Amino acid sequence: MTPLFALLFDSLDERLKLRHPSRKVANKVFPHNWSFLLGEVALFSLVVLVATGVFLTMFYRPSTAPVVYHGSLELYDGTTLPGAFESILRLSHDVPGGLLFRRIHRAASHLFIAASVLHMLRILFTGAFRRPREVNYLLGLGLITLAFVAGFTGYSLPYDSLAGTGIRIAYSELLSFPVVGDRVAFWVFGGDFPTGDVIPRFFVFHVMIVPALIIGAVSVHLLLVGRQRHTQFPTHGVDGHAFIVGKPLWPAQFAESATLILWIGGLLTASAVFVPWSDISLLGPYVPGEVGNNAQPDWFMFWIDGALRIFPPLEFSVLGLMTVSGPFVAGIVLPGMVFTGLALYPFLERKVYGLRGEWHVLTNPLDIPLRAAVSLGTFSFVLLLSAAATSDILSRLSGISIEDVIWIFRVACLLGPPVLAAGIYRYSTKRLRSRGLVVATDEQQATSQAGGHGAVPAAVTPPARDPSPVSGGE
Amino acid sequence: MSADGDPKAELRVIARTDPPRSKLNDSIVVLSAGAAALLGVVFAVSLLAGGPMVLYGGALAGGLLLLAVAVRRYFTDRFPDIEAVEPREIPSPDDTDKPLSDVAPLGPRRSLLKRALIAAGGVFGLSLLAPVTSLGPAPGRTFTTTAWARGVRLVTTDGDPVRPGDVAAGGIATIWPEGAIGQERSSVLLLRLSVEPVPPTVLEWVIADFLVAYSKVCTHAGCPVALYRQQDNALFCPCHQSTFNAVAGAVPTFGPAARPLPQLPLGLDEEGYLVALSDFVEPVGPALPRA
Repeated sequence: MTPLFALLFDSLDERLKLRHPSRKVANKVFPHNWSFLLGEVALFSLVVLVATGVFLTMFYRPSTAPVVYHGSLELYDGTTLPGAFESILRLSHDVPGGLLFRRIHRAASHLFIAASVLHMLRILFTGAFRRPREVNYLLGLGLITLAFVAGFTGYSLPYDSLAGTGIRIAYSELLSFPVVGDRVAFWVFGGDFPTGDVIPRFFVFHVMIVPALIIGAVSVHLLLVGRQRHTQFPTHGVDGHAFIVGKPLWPAQFAESATLILWIGGLLTASAVFVPWSDISLLGPYVPGEVGNNAQPDWFMFWIDGALRIFPPLEFSVLGLMTVSGPFVAGIVLPGMVFTGLALYPFLERKVYGLRGEWHVLTNPLDIPLRAAVSLGTFSFVLLLSAAATSDILSRLSGISIEDVIWIFRVACLLGPPVLAAGIYRYSTKRLRSRGLVVATDEQQATSQAGGHGAVPAAVTPPARDPSPVSGGE
Repeated sequence: MSADGDPKAELRVIARTDPPRSKLNDSIVVLSAGAAALLGVVFAVSLLAGGPMVLYGGALAGGLLLLAVAVRRYFTDRFPDIEAVEPREIPSPDDTDKPLSDVAPLGPRRSLLKRALIAAGGVFGLSLLAPVTSLGPAPGRTFTTTAWARGVRLVTTDGDPVRPGDVAAGGIATIWPEGAIGQERSSVLLLRLSVEPVPPTVLEWVIADFLVAYSKVCTHAGCPVALYRQQDNALFCPCHQSTFNAVAGAVPTFGPAARPLPQLPLGLDEEGYLVALSDFVEPVGPALPRA
């Protein structure tokens, strides 16, 4: 330690008793695998989002009231625009650094959501959700939902032509709730679309409520990882059920994380210099009653948009009391079912295979046929729905009529995922049988089975019991 | 080292390699850190001096990436490479037997009192949800009416009233009720069809044999039905590809919409301008939550 740091630390330690907890934290052991970095990428993207978002908030004006733009962008100079749109043009073209930070914010939002989704898939495929980590898994699903809300409200704030169309569809989705939809829509929007309230409210959601929830939930998410410790992949000669093998937080994990956040900041900035992320000056402001071709939402909403596109016409009254419509089933019920299914899956797997005890060693999804089937089925379904959101573009590019493209997606979404799920279920069941294995019901059995084919010997290397002092720090 | 005596705080090393000290590595650290600092200054100066984004953005990106290299390299041969092991916490049955607190309640259990408190808390908590209803007005007749009424003129987005001759054959125009331009639920498509409309189009609301007006709000998810395919007289929504037959009462022919676009009763006033004869007869836009 440098003398100044030592002096500072000692004087704080006398008052706060920091030495023992710092040692404990610094000595925490972290297992290593590239896929464990996905959550960290999401976390660091969040840091970039907050830092750039604070800057943007200084300039953004949450208003749809008309304002005349006077600034350096000639295309719009002297035109009357919604206040929100105008403030972003000013931020982008008349504030030094404004465009750069706005683009970094936009790029970081894509990375945040993409890394969160990949992180969730890693958890799902490898079984990191198993007992005792179900709570953190559910918290993670909540975080993904919050990330979607943050992404959608952020996409809406510029009030450009695509944003206005997206808000209109969100309004229709709220309206589609049987019995209470009109009330709910009015509570969120403050009146009939497009009210002057919707942008100010989305602003509060985007810069205050949702970030506060995300930061709070991420903190608990990390505390729980610290409390329950990380899972790890099977390691040769190690009883992963009883021991964690890896590198200590200081210096190895610290060095890796510090490097990672700098890499992420640097790459996001570089992308912002070269990629005009969502250039709203090309989209133009939202004008009620107008929408152009290529009306696609952000990529992470594609699956819901795709479901709305391919769902057949449906609108019926139940006992004359309420209306159930296609937008409700495709836009609310279906995504709700996907998320509910993901939330319930850990409990289903435990029940179906009669799993016992705690699980800390990650597994190949092919070793658990149900998990392989459910995750591939769900994932392919969401991907096919996402692809369906590009039906108009696919039709134009391929020359196939839009009707045929939609029908192809209808058939593919209905048949594809079940066929894939059944196929991988059969494959992984056969694979297990050909190796003379069954789905292990507790972790000890899983470890010894793995030893059976040579990956992990059942014999456990006893860890070095006597702590050897580690030199090298100053 | 073990002064605090907590075995959990100790690092149990199972493998250790001391990387060789490398002069080259030292040079990389110094050079990359120095270059990063320089790029930081370039970023600051060019931003202050109003330089181009490529310059200050590039300097910021380059500086961050070089700083990453410096940090990574600093740790490369500064510390031993440690592989350590840590026992997982195995839940012990002794712990689960202990009560959460050492202070136990007095006397016999009084579950009635406990239930009363829980019930009161629940009822009170539900009452606190009442302010949610202040967030928006009661919808009232919002969803069953529009700004159209008997005698209201059709105007363009610029506010000009429209005569039948203003729309060319095969032409399409976005129309608003006079005095409610931009009121999204009242937007209307005025079309001059190239073939004569047939039922279920209401023929007495068709002007000059070919002029017909439909609500522009899609009955699926409320997007503007903005596109007109002249070759098959189809109205097409760019959001979710709902398709409507403009010749036959705008009934849906493909896509997710389940109801026709409502037809606006069209007439002419004494000055020859197009007017509405009444509001829409059918509700406009997406399905309503109650029948």
